[in-house]
Amino acid sequence: MADTPMVVIRNLSKVYRQGDLDVVALNRISLQIDSGEFLALMGPSGSGKSTLLHIIAGVDRPTGGECRVQGIEVTRLNESALADWRNQNVGFVFQSFNLIPVLTAYENVELPLLLTGLNRRRRRQQVNRALELVGLADRSRHLPRQLSGGQEQRVAIARALVTDPALIVADEPTGNLDSRSAHEALGILQSLSRQSGKTVILVTHDPKAAAFGTRTIHLEKGELT
Amino acid sequence: MSTGTFVLKNALRNKRRAGLCILSVAVSLFLFVTLLVALREITIPPEDVGAASRIIVRNKISLGTLLPARQRAVLERLPGVAAVTPFTWYGGKFRDEDATLFGQFAVDPLKLPVLLPEARVPPEQWAAFFKDRRACLVGKIVADQYHFQLGDRLPFTGTIWPCDLELRVAGIYEGTLDDRNVFFHHDYLNEAVGELNQVGTWWVKARSLDQMAEVVAEINHAFANTAAEVRAETERAFQMSMISMWGNIRILVRSICSVVVFTLVLVSASTMNMAVRERFRELAVLKALGFRRRQLFAFILAESFGLALAGALVGVGGAWFFYSHVSIARLTQGIFITFEVTPRILGQAWLIAVGLGIGASIAPAVAVARMSVVEGLKTLD
Ligand SMILES: Nc1ncnc2c1ncn2[C@@H]1O[C@H](COP(=O)(O)OP(=O)(O)OP(=O)(O)O)[C@@H](O)[C@H]1O
Ligand SMILES: [Mg+2]
Repeated sequence: MADTPMVVIRNLSKVYRQGDLDVVALNRISLQIDSGEFLALMGPSGSGKSTLLHIIAGVDRPTGGECRVQGIEVTRLNESALADWRNQNVGFVFQSFNLIPVLTAYENVELPLLLTGLNRRRRRQQVNRALELVGLADRSRHLPRQLSGGQEQRVAIARALVTDPALIVADEPTGNLDSRSAHEALGILQSLSRQSGKTVILVTHDPKAAAFGTRTIHLEKGELT
Repeated sequence: MSTGTFVLKNALRNKRRAGLCILSVAVSLFLFVTLLVALREITIPPEDVGAASRIIVRNKISLGTLLPARQRAVLERLPGVAAVTPFTWYGGKFRDEDATLFGQFAVDPLKLPVLLPEARVPPEQWAAFFKDRRACLVGKIVADQYHFQLGDRLPFTGTIWPCDLELRVAGIYEGTLDDRNVFFHHDYLNEAVGELNQVGTWWVKARSLDQMAEVVAEINHAFANTAAEVRAETERAFQMSMISMWGNIRILVRSICSVVVFTLVLVSASTMNMAVRERFRELAVLKALGFRRRQLFAFILAESFGLALAGALVGVGGAWFFYSHVSIARLTQGIFITFEVTPRILGQAWLIAVGLGIGASIAPAVAVARMSVVEGLKTLD
């Protein structure tokens, strides 16, 4: 399967209208990402990295061009179909972790599974496996505030992979972490791509983080360089 | 974790706020129920059949001016009249009470069963009442309140009439609109005052409901241009004229109710708004994870509903429990008697709670539905 591309992007544009002014966030980008690739997306602030990531992950829509993920034209799905598609195919990791503060680590990881038809026992198996994978099986009953930043981000990674999605997107996941925690988190993402064949897209400012990837691309003013 | 647990954990994340919201809903709904019950009690329309076919004849000058006893013969000869009894308010003080809150009326005992057909009295008690000049019939509410037994002697001190009375309980009646009176022999009052030969009012029973208007006109006509002109009207009209005094109160109470409900809507809406605003980013994350708009809406609605219904459970349930277990008659010294929380009032209060639950969730739900994931993720905590 490694030879069928995961993401195929053609002439993708995103233009924000602000009064009379057009802000071009993405300018006719074409790009292909293969299955199992660990792609690092770099570029200065405001270059359109997050915008591109959001469109690929199906939480934002382009103003022009195509974006196919696993052969599906994501840009054409309606709201609820898109929601289901995200649940099954995409795992999100954010810079600020974004765990639900009133839920334990276990419950946070379980959250995306509530949308699947899995019964409680199957859910427990998957949540436990995901928590083991990020090395936090012993912290499942902790609330986010009882965890360190690095642990929180690992819980977030567990939440992203618990539905076994083909694609994991991470927008500056190490931005709020010290270098050791960052190293751990990136190591987990790397092994996901190497051992489980997941496609990982990592947005980062840090060349050391980008070095974990299999390929690095650069965006500047909405264009690939 | 089930979805229910998830909603519950969210709703209780700010326990103090949830508690205050529930409390304000509870207090407001308690007040709302209380106002409606009070309003109902002071304006119960006289809808019993007895009242519909009774005519009250009073002196045209005022309710307090007496009528000559000889009018009775004239009344009884009128074609549409079935029965006549004097009906005179004694208004005495019972034992050493400062103010006695039940009425005592002097009547013709033999006519009472005809004029007050809704009163239920065992036959042997009727008989005892007829036989003894000093006997009286006591309303069930009063009898229960004072623990009267058959045969008890009730001493009264006259306040309007220059005579004291001692009545013997011969029977207890129930089933009238207001079982709070004492009826006794007019002859006894006559005798105690000494050749009274006057009555307070007449109660007249018409032969049929169709003839009511006719009989009223006949009575008014019969005493026109005599020394004691009368004003006859149906009992219902008579009671209505009393109730119309409460008309302004009704408007007042209704407006207070509206203000209470309005305030309640504001309080719950702002609570839900805050609860959702501070979670905007989390809701965006849920959207990213694949939760649909409809599901997020359901979460918000469930939370809003939960708060409103918890408030209703405490407030409406509390009012119902309180008013059905506490003697309001004693608490208000007889101003309110039944203070019944009717199913209709309960229904109204619950309906408001339901409306509140839905109403308070609309604005935040719309905001969440409109929010795009990208936009929501950008909101700061
Ligand atoms: N809602 C919006 N309205 C108008 N312009 C926007 C909006 N969102 C983003 N932009 C513009 O789009 C461009 C790309 O933004 P984007 O967030 O993708 O940048 P980025 O590369 O992720 O930057 P950073 O590294 O700072 O996160 C920026 O110039 C930004 O100002
Ligand atoms: Mg960005």
